[in-house]
Amino acid sequence: MNGDVIWMIGRGLLNMGLVLLVAPFCQGILRKTTARIQSRQGPPVFQPYFDLLKLLGKEDIESGETPRMQRFAAYLTLATALTVACLVPMGIAAPMNGAGDVILLIYLLTLSGICTLLAGLAAGSTYSLVGISREMMSMILLEPLFAIAIVVGAMHAQSFRLDAVLNGSVYAISGFPWSGLLLLAVMLLSFQAFVQRVPFDISEAETELMEGPLMEYSGPKLALFKYAQMAKLVIYSGLFVNLFVPWGSGLMFPLGWLLFWAKVLVLVLLVTLVAATHARYRIDQAIRYFAGLLAIAMGALVLASYGY
Amino acid sequence: MIAREMFEEFKAKFGALILRADLPNDHRLFVFIDRSAVRSVCEYIFRDLNARYVVSIGADDRPFSGDFLVAHNFALDHDNVLCSVLVHLPADHPIIDSISDIVPAASWAEREMRDLVGIEPLGHRYLKRLVLPDGWPEGVHPLRKDVRWDEVPESFDENREFRFDDPPAGCTVVPFGPFHPTLDEPAHFRLYVEGEMVRGCEYRGFMVHRGIEKLAESVMSYNDIPMLAERICGICGCVHSVAYVQAVEEAAVLKPPPRAEYIRTIMLEIERLHSHLLWVGLACHIVGFDTLFMQSFRIREPIMWIAEKITGNRKTYALCVIGGVRWDIAPEMKTELRAVLDKLESDWRPVVSAVSHDKNIQKRTRGVGVADPALVKNAGLLGPVARSAGIGIDCRHDHPYAAYDRVDFDVITERDGDVWSRVLVRMKEVFESIRIIRQCLDKMEPGPLQLEMKDELPVGRMGLSSVEAPRGESHHFVITGENNRPRRWRVRAPTYQNLQAIPNMIKDQQIADMTISLGSIDPCFSCTDRLETIDLRSGTTKVWSQDELLKLTQAKKVRP
Repeated sequence: MNGDVIWMIGRGLLNMGLVLLVAPFCQGILRKTTARIQSRQGPPVFQPYFDLLKLLGKEDIESGETPRMQRFAAYLTLATALTVACLVPMGIAAPMNGAGDVILLIYLLTLSGICTLLAGLAAGSTYSLVGISREMMSMILLEPLFAIAIVVGAMHAQSFRLDAVLNGSVYAISGFPWSGLLLLAVMLLSFQAFVQRVPFDISEAETELMEGPLMEYSGPKLALFKYAQMAKLVIYSGLFVNLFVPWGSGLMFPLGWLLFWAKVLVLVLLVTLVAATHARYRIDQAIRYFAGLLAIAMGALVLASYGY
Repeated sequence: MIAREMFEEFKAKFGALILRADLPNDHRLFVFIDRSAVRSVCEYIFRDLNARYVVSIGADDRPFSGDFLVAHNFALDHDNVLCSVLVHLPADHPIIDSISDIVPAASWAEREMRDLVGIEPLGHRYLKRLVLPDGWPEGVHPLRKDVRWDEVPESFDENREFRFDDPPAGCTVVPFGPFHPTLDEPAHFRLYVEGEMVRGCEYRGFMVHRGIEKLAESVMSYNDIPMLAERICGICGCVHSVAYVQAVEEAAVLKPPPRAEYIRTIMLEIERLHSHLLWVGLACHIVGFDTLFMQSFRIREPIMWIAEKITGNRKTYALCVIGGVRWDIAPEMKTELRAVLDKLESDWRPVVSAVSHDKNIQKRTRGVGVADPALVKNAGLLGPVARSAGIGIDCRHDHPYAAYDRVDFDVITERDGDVWSRVLVRMKEVFESIRIIRQCLDKMEPGPLQLEMKDELPVGRMGLSSVEAPRGESHHFVITGENNRPRRWRVRAPTYQNLQAIPNMIKDQQIADMTISLGSIDPCFSCTDRLETIDLRSGTTKVWSQDELLKLTQAKKVRP
């Protein structure tokens, strides 16, 4: 093995560790801010770390219809999230640049949705089945949105390389970036759905479906799922920042890096604010909403292919 | 039309079929009719006089008159008359013609009568067991006088399961309950679902029927029962206690002192305030809008504190006794209550204006769980559910009790009959309640709190009382009796009527709308009857049986 590969893997692991470290903190910020909006005291910012530790230390109960698949789904969902973390630049250049391209990224993002389906199937209860049917319906419309954003970036950048695409490439044309700005709007409007927060937490909807696909999860397996969800918030925010808010990423090491995380934090606060001021949509309303966004995104794709 | 004119009309129309009548005042009519005329008289009252169905009551009157007794109660809301149609049934042949095809709202009451008193409603189309547990043997009717209050028949099979009807073809079953995060109490709805659409449902409730009526009729005394009545409901307890004492007072022709009436009014409105604020919060929680849930609970809390200051308790005020109240509202408390109301009003106004303009909440609630005026009439729907459909029934206004005839307030109505209208009605009623309390505080004169009573209460008299609970009319029917306790006491909580319309309200809607539709009637079931503990050392699971739990409670241990 030569030094480059070790350096690459090292930086990938560094990214992974960073996401694992920061994700509960972002969740803590989210919970604390929500509490303040709701005139509550709220849990300490570091509470999510303790929650995860507590869950990890609990008895590992086998339940649901197919416990093996349930376990597998829990491992897979966190593994997927962490693999994505290896590929996405987190304030420094994409760590595993040569190891995959943006097409792999699109696949991995879809895989994390599949994990939820697996979890729901494994539980086998009516509620979790309703939950995954909702998840599937929204996935069909949601996944193409991110894919289109990445593809448009790739078209503008004339490359599938991670470092080329995930660096504000949606605006990278000589003229006015119509397609990029359209996609920015689309992604902003659907961002809550990607990170599965109100008003689009439809597949889990505690008051309707009792957590849907997750209803049979407890203890360490639940911890993995929760961890993956927290990680997703950070990763999707990172992706969003890379694709749409690249300004300042070229600054010197500590500055560019700090700026990146500041942007991620702002995005997390935005998610919190939207979640705290909205009611949950019904699945048919959400589908109609996503379909509208998808139509706009398709329009942006067409514009991009004509060089706008 | 007053009660006497109504009776004259009955006599003119039905002649000898009307046996006799009891007219204690202008607002009450107890009319005894021949059993063959039940259907025609009820049809006349319900359709021609356009009365509102209230409840049907079965009573075992054998030790006293030798007969069974059935009462169908109706309310004429425009004339301030409550009317009870009574029929005697021979002891060896307790069968009565069912009125449930004429008055669909009577369906549950007739099934309950069959379960608990053993009076067979002839011609009822759906005679499935309603109240009794599934393992209860046939032929034992707990409300009959020859059944002991604590009797459990030997053939009672605790583990027998309920048999559900077959779902319609092409539908899958989604069980909703017995326990569900949005049901605060156990109740089981079996939803028949096609995709995400609900096509129908079957209901099994009464899992925590506590036999409160039987307990009162057998072991408690007149002044114990208000405390028991209060425990019927965890939210609108004061309503039941007031309704009960009013029914007894009416039967015994007692009039509590004015100050007591004002205090009852104030406490009832305080209860409505905290109930409505709670409901708005819960409704928001159901549709996933937790911020408003938290805010409305914050606004609600001072109400609980002031209730505790006045009565010593946040809930269960232990307010009423026959002929008066137990707590006074001192002058300094008046000032404090006024301050709480001012704060509440100024806190609530921005919430109402925020919610009224929120498109997001409207999206989830408009056109959802609709109850149209026809359904309101046929199913006997009450309270905010009826008022949101444009039918302005409100017992405080239609059948004034306590001090409601001395205060000025508006009956809030909306037109659409959907969940959104119910949200609006409840939010606006908060301001009316504040208005009522303020007027009571102004008009209250010093004076005694309780009536001085020297004589025993008369025996065999009947009393009716309707009190407007936050969820609709609570109706109590009392027949006074011997041994310082009533012979028969029947409670009809508003949810009893409103719940019967749920299958109609959720039909052809999405599953996601089920919770908010159910939530919108503000349902009120009851507390748990079974629990499970796990021994940590051995890891074994133990399910407590009803028997063991009973022994546990009777042994007065603190904790197992």
